[in-house]
Amino acid sequence: MPEELVAVYADPDEALRAVLSLRDRGVSNAQVSSPAAFPVVHEVEHTGHSRALGWVALVGGLTGLACATALEVGTSKALGLIVGGKPIVAWTAFGVVMFELTMLFAGASNFLALAIFSAHSRRKVAKAVRDLVSSERIVVTVSLAGMDPKLRDAARGVLGGALAEVTP
Amino acid sequence: MSEVSLAQIEKDTVATMSETTWRYWLALGIALSLVALGGWAWSVALRQGLGITGLNEPVMWGALITTFVFFIGVSHSGTLVSAILFFTRSPLRAAIGRSAEAMTVFTIMTAGLYPIVHIGRSWLFFFVLPYPNQRQLWMNFRSPLTWDVFAITSYVTVSMLFLYMGMLPDLALLARQVKSWRRPLYRVLSLGFSGTDGEWRIFEKAYPIFAGVVIPLAVSVHSVVSWDFAMTVMPGWHSAIFAPYFVAGAIFSGIAVAVLLLSGLRRGYHLERYITPKHFDMLAKLLLAMSLVMTFVYATEFFMAFYRGSKAEMEVFRWRATGTYAPVFWGVVISNSVAPLALFWSRARNHLPTLITISVLVTVGMWFERFLFIVTTLARSFVSQNWGNYIPSWKESFICLGGFGWFLMLFLIFIKLFPCMAISESMQSQHAVDAAVTPEASHA
Repeated sequence: MPEELVAVYADPDEALRAVLSLRDRGVSNAQVSSPAAFPVVHEVEHTGHSRALGWVALVGGLTGLACATALEVGTSKALGLIVGGKPIVAWTAFGVVMFELTMLFAGASNFLALAIFSAHSRRKVAKAVRDLVSSERIVVTVSLAGMDPKLRDAARGVLGGALAEVTP
Repeated sequence: MSEVSLAQIEKDTVATMSETTWRYWLALGIALSLVALGGWAWSVALRQGLGITGLNEPVMWGALITTFVFFIGVSHSGTLVSAILFFTRSPLRAAIGRSAEAMTVFTIMTAGLYPIVHIGRSWLFFFVLPYPNQRQLWMNFRSPLTWDVFAITSYVTVSMLFLYMGMLPDLALLARQVKSWRRPLYRVLSLGFSGTDGEWRIFEKAYPIFAGVVIPLAVSVHSVVSWDFAMTVMPGWHSAIFAPYFVAGAIFSGIAVAVLLLSGLRRGYHLERYITPKHFDMLAKLLLAMSLVMTFVYATEFFMAFYRGSKAEMEVFRWRATGTYAPVFWGVVISNSVAPLALFWSRARNHLPTLITISVLVTVGMWFERFLFIVTTLARSFVSQNWGNYIPSWKESFICLGGFGWFLMLFLIFIKLFPCMAISESMQSQHAVDAAVTPEASHA
């Protein structure tokens, strides 16, 4: 595990105060692991893929639409029969399946994106640290690698009382 | 939610999985008995054919299709209510959302069985899949029955993913907390979720997108089921009002079943701190609102039939209210339109036994309402020489009862395997409540 400070808090508000204090002292690389989306998780800087999620869902939905269109038009043309008085390619009748597959693919791609992006995102935090999280433990981590000595001291000062020993 | 520590929330939820009371065993015993009864009746139908049912010309859709439509309806509201509560940021969602979503998944899984039973030769169910048969014929994409297949399979898949997605943070928590065989199960199912800030950001972005997908899909699935009927020219079915009528009825019956499930969970696992009178008050208000919508729809149907002057349609509606099934019709009016009016009084909304009684009436009433509109149209259509009656056979009724047992069994197994309340979301709600009560403590 790279050199880092790991502090454990039982109270989400204490963790929030610590993160805000760190930020006030110029320490901006804190990371939080939490059992729930408490306000503290929104107070740390984040560079992730979350913005891409909407686009992934859109592309997934369009793929579903294309699949439904291909399936309905392709099979109807292959059959070549007029059924129920509707034209062979009956767009109004085909609209329902197109809608269903659009939504299905949009949902499924959104879920897959969540799984993949989350797996990528969590690699920034050591497994030993992630394993500390529980309903009574919110973990704040600060990486000291390459950090200015003054900032190191500031981080130690803020997290001091809550620092934990973590075995990699 | 009353004041409770974050650890206590987890502890209480885990207790619902680990502690098994006699009430649980009793409910599971009833469910399994119904499943056995229904399974036996279905096996008879498979061996001897659909002749064992009461289905015959002119009524070829009866109790089995009624049960299908009923369960699709119940499935409708769970995910829908959960998604709507999510978008309105309601703190009430944390305690009831999970059970409502599970209800959706299991009712739609139950509903899907009934068309398979109804086709008689159930082993040929794969004919409804988009797959060319022996004569290289593909399914007819112009048919509402084909739309049904796509709507239901899409809805069940998306509802399962919605339920699963919401459980990821809880499964991650439980994977670290619980021991025994559950730990590896939760570890695998949590997909490695561990609650880092990056994961929360992604989760909080992905979940609303998914909820946004679920709501139109939920509305579409019951609209498509309504078009199985409305796309025909049969009197009493061929109506533009059918899709919103089905959607309203679906929400109505779903809320009634949700009240029954939640009151059972609350009582059985002492979850009074989490599933509070506020939840029931909200559900009761929704039930009342949907009851008024349903009454309006019933009245509109009759008004349109008689104003339009179509003789066949007038006869269907006249017969529905005064013919063979008149006692059923008036029973439906009392249970769906009259009884819920009691919920105008806050005392009735906050008196759980009253609310449960009304919910039972609505649940039964909605099954019979589906039965009425399916059967009376077929029994009394255009040609008077072809009129007839239909009464479900005992074995057919057992197959329908088996569905109720099947649904209950799946739900009971679910609450033993997975948390019936959203732990992580409940913690978040509790923290928000604490912050509101003592703002200076949480103000950083």
